[in-house]
Amino acid sequence: MSARDLDRTLAALADPHRRRVVDLLREKPYRAGDLAQATHLPFPTMSRHLKTLRQSGLVEEDRDALDSRVRIYRLKAEAMAELKTWLAETDAMWARQLASFKAHLQKSRK
Amino acid sequence: MTSKVFLAIRVPADPVRTFDAFTGDIGAWWRPDPLFQITPHGDGALSFEPGPDGRLVTRLGNGETFEIGRILAWEPGRRLVFVWRQASFSPDQSTEVEVRFEPVGDETRVSIEHRAWDTIPQEHAARHGFPEHVTLQRAADWWRVSMGALRQRLG
Repeated sequence: MSARDLDRTLAALADPHRRRVVDLLREKPYRAGDLAQATHLPFPTMSRHLKTLRQSGLVEEDRDALDSRVRIYRLKAEAMAELKTWLAETDAMWARQLASFKAHLQKSRK
Repeated sequence: MTSKVFLAIRVPADPVRTFDAFTGDIGAWWRPDPLFQITPHGDGALSFEPGPDGRLVTRLGNGETFEIGRILAWEPGRRLVFVWRQASFSPDQSTEVEVRFEPVGDETRVSIEHRAWDTIPQEHAARHGFPEHVTLQRAADWWRVSMGALRQRLG
């Protein structure tokens, strides 16, 4: 995992509207217009959020197979994996540190 | 909804002594992890500058001091809260660690809660969030995987 990629991902998720978009895209791919409607945001605002999400590598854009003027947005699985990795690593780190702390206390008691 | 890591362990000392060892001896018991480095120069020698206005710092091999974070709560024998920032975090990113010390007979239960972005109280840090499903999955995985592994390791 690259630290800079993770930073970009987290920055993109700093906004509650963008988090909502990510949650929606988890279910299925959406058109930009449908995303704007589902989040009650004006279309230009949604476009800006989608641009940020795209630049962060969280979502990708496709053209609709039936109508090439329509853009479809979907979640990129790799981006989510990085976040899970960070949490898992933090988890493992504290497990190690607590075990070491306990050993330290046991040693110093003798 | 929470994005956090939570672990607990029982240690053979009373809460006051456990708190003192946790804070005062961190340089002795902290084990650097090649997979999870606080700075690109490694973890260095950690130490708490004690007290409610103190901080957690680490002295690196090149002589520099890196501030991991300010202390937010310093309650000897009870509770400790501090900011946790790795060198790779961007300036507006922050996480927070809360350590609780609870008496269990003549021993102490030490629990660590490492809160990420969206679960940090607003007065402490900028808002950042993990998507909820990551968290849900973490919460479900935690008891199964992490604590199982920890218990095994401690015997």
